[in-house]
Amino acid sequence: MERESSASGRQSCVHPLDHAGLLNAFRVFCCLALGAILFSCSSPPPAPSETAPEEVNALPPRYIIVFVIHGDGGYLYHDTDGNKYRADEEAVNSAKIVAERNSQAEVFIFHEKRKRHFLFLFARHDGEFYYYRNGRLLAQESYWRDHGQFRFDPEVELYNRFRAEEHSRPKKFFLYLGHEIPEMDGTGYDASYKDRSFTVPDLVDGLKHFTLDSTKFDLIALSTCFNGTPHTIAALSPYAQYIIASPGNLHLSYFDLHPFEALDVGLRDEDVSAFAKMCAHQSFERLTKDIQTEITVAVYDVGRVQRFLNSVDSVYDHTLTTLKDKASTSIEHCDCAEDSAYLRPAMSDGIDVFYRPARFGRSTHKQDHSGWECLRLLK
Amino acid sequence: MLGKTAIRLAVMIFVMSLAGIAQGQDKLQNYFSDAAGKVKVTTDPTQKREILNKSFEKMSKALNTVQGSPLISKDDKAGIAHFKVVLKEKQDELAGLNGYDRVSDAQLNDFADYVVQDMEQATETVTISLVALLLIIIIAILI
Repeated sequence: MERESSASGRQSCVHPLDHAGLLNAFRVFCCLALGAILFSCSSPPPAPSETAPEEVNALPPRYIIVFVIHGDGGYLYHDTDGNKYRADEEAVNSAKIVAERNSQAEVFIFHEKRKRHFLFLFARHDGEFYYYRNGRLLAQESYWRDHGQFRFDPEVELYNRFRAEEHSRPKKFFLYLGHEIPEMDGTGYDASYKDRSFTVPDLVDGLKHFTLDSTKFDLIALSTCFNGTPHTIAALSPYAQYIIASPGNLHLSYFDLHPFEALDVGLRDEDVSAFAKMCAHQSFERLTKDIQTEITVAVYDVGRVQRFLNSVDSVYDHTLTTLKDKASTSIEHCDCAEDSAYLRPAMSDGIDVFYRPARFGRSTHKQDHSGWECLRLLK
Repeated sequence: MLGKTAIRLAVMIFVMSLAGIAQGQDKLQNYFSDAAGKVKVTTDPTQKREILNKSFEKMSKALNTVQGSPLISKDDKAGIAHFKVVLKEKQDELAGLNGYDRVSDAQLNDFADYVVQDMEQATETVTISLVALLLIIIIAILI
């Protein structure tokens, strides 16, 4: 009986179509499939620009900003009114405003998106690139994130293809916004690429290629959780004068991009150190209004923290080796000052730490933070 | 009847799994955000506590159920165990147990926000597979 009704059901779907109908249906399907392939492989047309290229080129960029915004993971968060936001999409919008409001900046925005399929079959691009010069969007391209031997190969290729010739030494900024960049393992960082790993050395490799001309970034900002560690800061040191990072488990997309909207004002005195502190302070102030969890934002003067980094380098490496095979649930983060192996008299020299303890939980009485985060086995 | 429910559950998991693991994390975060929303529209502190307690208990039961399931991997079980510890801390703090000062009536709205924000951070650091996440949410909703 069940078989009959099933067969009858199937028949009722097919019967109304004659051969011509089937052929038409097949053609429609082919058109759709072709359309999907073209849609998934083509780049959006270049954005219209009201400024002639020669006019845009006339002003040499005083600032170069590279944004890498990771969106291939869980980036949902709620504000205190219960409104939902996608941290990566919010960050892309803020980065575009930064790009539009700086009339003498060259801005590269890379949005690493989740891989999606059209009709469950046709893969769509998982990277979106925006290129702005002097406040104008000059190019927008979709790209594949997994094309290349190294993680940032597609981004570096686009960066080299579009960047303007440097006439004078511009101020250079690199901002990474995403989840904590792992110091070990790193598989599962991308929701779309389960087997692909992303770790601090991958970021370092990308930075190496972004700075092939041997000029360091004036400022690197990591809008991620837990990357204010001796290992990460040491690894990034060859590529930055100053680094902003959080040693804590911060709320997603903590970094406030507003100071970047007027670089001519913020960097009037060309004082990157003061600008970095202002950015960190503003992010901290914004977060303290609504966030109940711990807030820690730190600015590292790369030259001045080297002494501490050298003194703990081998200890930290040993910890990483020891914890390598442990389950993530058996490892916890802690202020390095709470671990005697890292405790040094001047361990916070060269760091400006903006800290407020969580308003609830076990650490409400912790009144300061060294600015360094370490790992240890859960007690 | 049981067969139909199982098929529905399987279809639900399949459809939701197409959206990826982030979808499971989103659902988990929405769960606590919804509870916080309810706390804030209530003026009576006793009711606020009740809402928070109920949300913790339902989630705790769901975590126990999923943790005991034979479908769940060893890694998931460890992830769920860690998540339970995080949740238990919140329950203890609300009630003033295990060394915590009881959350005062005046702080209940802020505490509800703290739970949402801390759980949003916890779901990023605790690795639980999509299937387990979806099972937790479905069971928490059904309880």
